[in-house]
Amino acid sequence: MYGSLSSNLQKVRAITARHSDVNIREFSIAGSSVGAAIIYADGLADKDMIDQHILKVLMNDVGEETITCSILTNKVLTVSQITITHEIEEIIRKVLTGQTALLVDGMSEMLIIGTMLSKSRSIEEPISEALVRGPRTGFNETLSDNTALLRRHGENASLSMIAMKVGKRASKDLIIAYMEDIADSDIVEEVKRRVSKIDIDNLPESGYVEQLIEDNFLSPFPQVQSTERPDRVIAALMEGRVAILLDGTPFALIVPVTFSMLLQSPEDYYERWMSGSLLRVLRFAAALISLLTPSLYISFISFHPGLIPTKLAVSIMATRVGVPFSSLVEALIMEIAIEILREAGLRLPKPIGPAMGIVGGLIIGEAAVQAGIVSPILVIVVAVTAISSFTIPQYSVGIALRMLRFIAMFCAAAFGLYGVILFFLMLCVHVVKLKSFGVPYASPAVPYRLNDWKDFILRMPLTMMKRRPKMLKTKDKVRKG
Amino acid sequence: MLISAAILFLQTGCWSKDEIEDLSIYIGMALDIGEQSKVEKELEKQGAGYARKKTMTFTIQIINELKGGKGEKTPAAEQKAYINVSETGDSIFEMIREFSTRMERPVIGHHLKVIVVNEKLARRKRMDQLLDFFLRDNDIRPSAVVFISKSKASHTLETQSSTVVPAFRLLGITDNQYRSLKIMSPVTLAKLEGKMHAGMSYVLQNVVSAKGEVAFSGAAVIKGSSQKLIGFLNEKELVGLMLLSGQGKGGQIKAYHEERGEVISYEIKKLESKINAIVKNGKVTFEVEIETTGRVMEEWTPSELEINEAFTKQTEAAVKEEIEKLVLSTLAKLQDKYKTDVAGFGQRLRIQHPKVWEPMKKDWDEEFSQIPVTIHIKSKITEYGATSRR
Repeated sequence: MYGSLSSNLQKVRAITARHSDVNIREFSIAGSSVGAAIIYADGLADKDMIDQHILKVLMNDVGEETITCSILTNKVLTVSQITITHEIEEIIRKVLTGQTALLVDGMSEMLIIGTMLSKSRSIEEPISEALVRGPRTGFNETLSDNTALLRRHGENASLSMIAMKVGKRASKDLIIAYMEDIADSDIVEEVKRRVSKIDIDNLPESGYVEQLIEDNFLSPFPQVQSTERPDRVIAALMEGRVAILLDGTPFALIVPVTFSMLLQSPEDYYERWMSGSLLRVLRFAAALISLLTPSLYISFISFHPGLIPTKLAVSIMATRVGVPFSSLVEALIMEIAIEILREAGLRLPKPIGPAMGIVGGLIIGEAAVQAGIVSPILVIVVAVTAISSFTIPQYSVGIALRMLRFIAMFCAAAFGLYGVILFFLMLCVHVVKLKSFGVPYASPAVPYRLNDWKDFILRMPLTMMKRRPKMLKTKDKVRKG
Repeated sequence: MLISAAILFLQTGCWSKDEIEDLSIYIGMALDIGEQSKVEKELEKQGAGYARKKTMTFTIQIINELKGGKGEKTPAAEQKAYINVSETGDSIFEMIREFSTRMERPVIGHHLKVIVVNEKLARRKRMDQLLDFFLRDNDIRPSAVVFISKSKASHTLETQSSTVVPAFRLLGITDNQYRSLKIMSPVTLAKLEGKMHAGMSYVLQNVVSAKGEVAFSGAAVIKGSSQKLIGFLNEKELVGLMLLSGQGKGGQIKAYHEERGEVISYEIKKLESKINAIVKNGKVTFEVEIETTGRVMEEWTPSELEINEAFTKQTEAAVKEEIEKLVLSTLAKLQDKYKTDVAGFGQRLRIQHPKVWEPMKKDWDEEFSQIPVTIHIKSKITEYGATSRR
């Protein structure tokens, strides 16, 4: 590679013919009138910076001395990030990420100057995980902003961030964050191993990473937690978990995950322990309700009329007289209708969404009862189920329970209460067998660790939670005192 | 393996699946001596019928579900909240299944609440035979309550009102036990089963009816050895029994002022009764201690009398005397007339002196009638209510 500017530029032009956004600007350096050129990508590079710190100094301020690489980097260019290269291909690669290349006639080295313009969304409150009390910050799409948010949490030299590249064609930055002196190194190594095994050409969102590193892709339950909240990630890191951040998405991943974590909200810890515990119990109950209510309805109506209190049985009978469908079909109609409504409400623009929910929920429900297609009791059942499923803080768990609800309904329709219990047992067996990065999914219930129960169904007072969760095998076991 | 699992799943179909609206739930049942209803006679004329002795008429009360809900199909106002159907025959199970040939919805017994047995039937048939089916059937709950009726049993399951369900009415009255000593604690099938197997005597609440109204009136005495109804306790005697056995939850005792003969109404708030079996020189005697605390709720004595120690003593004595009268009359009837122990004396003897009990238990009712019983009563008045007068 020789320092002839024109020949170099020719090569560059040959490559960038396909890149309409790459600009080449030729100029001569002030004192010596040596020819030079900068190459940058429109929109990616910061034009102000190019004008102020590259073009202005080179075209105005440089004296008569001969321009060499060391003079440029040491005396002239007032930019923090400069790398030197000899490869044209590398120049193109870097330019396409927003850096600027400086080529000087007669100089064999080429400079790559860090002029990336990061256009990022400002830090906003996370939409999918709104809290009453808690920080109003959420991750955005820029990786450096996200890592900065974690760093800014507090002075902590043990917070380690390992950068990796993923994606064969569209290579992206991915960061594995953990606490050096807390996290179990086996878990960290396992995460690194699984991430390095990702072999896919494109990763648009961290959901791809999640699906490629999870333990069991056949399970309905998410084995990786995704969150938009930096405080949640920090709390997980402090417990000894590992976080994975991907460039271009506000959703960070947390591993390993246990089932109880997915029913927890950061607020449980921010509120005092009694209200925190109450909300948690409530959420466990809501999860059960949203999973089982329709199937219990079916089994009571179709199989066990004797188990309903007499007066209730009478009023149910009265409302069901004239309903032409069996309880399963009836429940399926309404459940599917409400799932459609929910999906439709999600897709619609924000001002219309809630209106749609009201129209759908109220009017269709009322009309269906009036028309005698479904019984009013079922409308109550479906409504209670839907509302309960909204209390689950993790969207992905909500979806899992919604899917399982339908299976439970079919079991109920085939075997009655016996079927529902069978279904529930099978579900328990599955959850107990499931592992997330070596940590049993059902812990601390199975395997039983009494100490970890302090942060399970109840959230004990902070003064009592002195130790980190045992199931994570942390290096530093003591959290407090 | 997957296929076989799937087949297993499909093979079962939907066993015992029956939507609730396709069933009739019967909540009450009345057993009478055989007497066919008009409908039945008509049906039989048309050729319906099967080989049976017409010993019993059996009426079930089915909820009229159109009346129960607040659906759009508003039923006619005259329509009753229940439907009673009768069948005559000699096997209860056969009669129940016979309803399947008469109604589009099969009847189910899960919600059976009350069973009323007619007096005459109970005098003729053994209780354990009459109730055999109910104890066997696994649909019927052992919490169903058993009554005896001096009137026709099916009449207790009738009403003129369009909103009242008679079976629920009977059940509801048993809940008022804390307000009156004339109401026994409900005798469920579960309690009855034990007593029948042990050959013990027992009492069942008697229900009378007239023009669709019912009243609880005394109790029927069933002799343990024969399992047949042998007689009744009237309302006063039932109150005595409630006091004697301590079963009463509270209620009212009307006494008269010693000198003036004016009414004093005393409400029992707390009733405790303890039967003590005493064995001396191989002779069994019973001592009963009855303790009541309560308040004066009404009294007709003139206001110049002051509330003082003496007045309280007088009143307490009057109440005590009244209780004693009630208890003794009951005891006399049980020991002398019916020669049965329905107040639980035998139980106490069995617990306190099992060795003495053992030889006596075979013929306990007879033995009991010979055993002297002494009664000690303590009645306390704690307050005179909220009045400031006197």
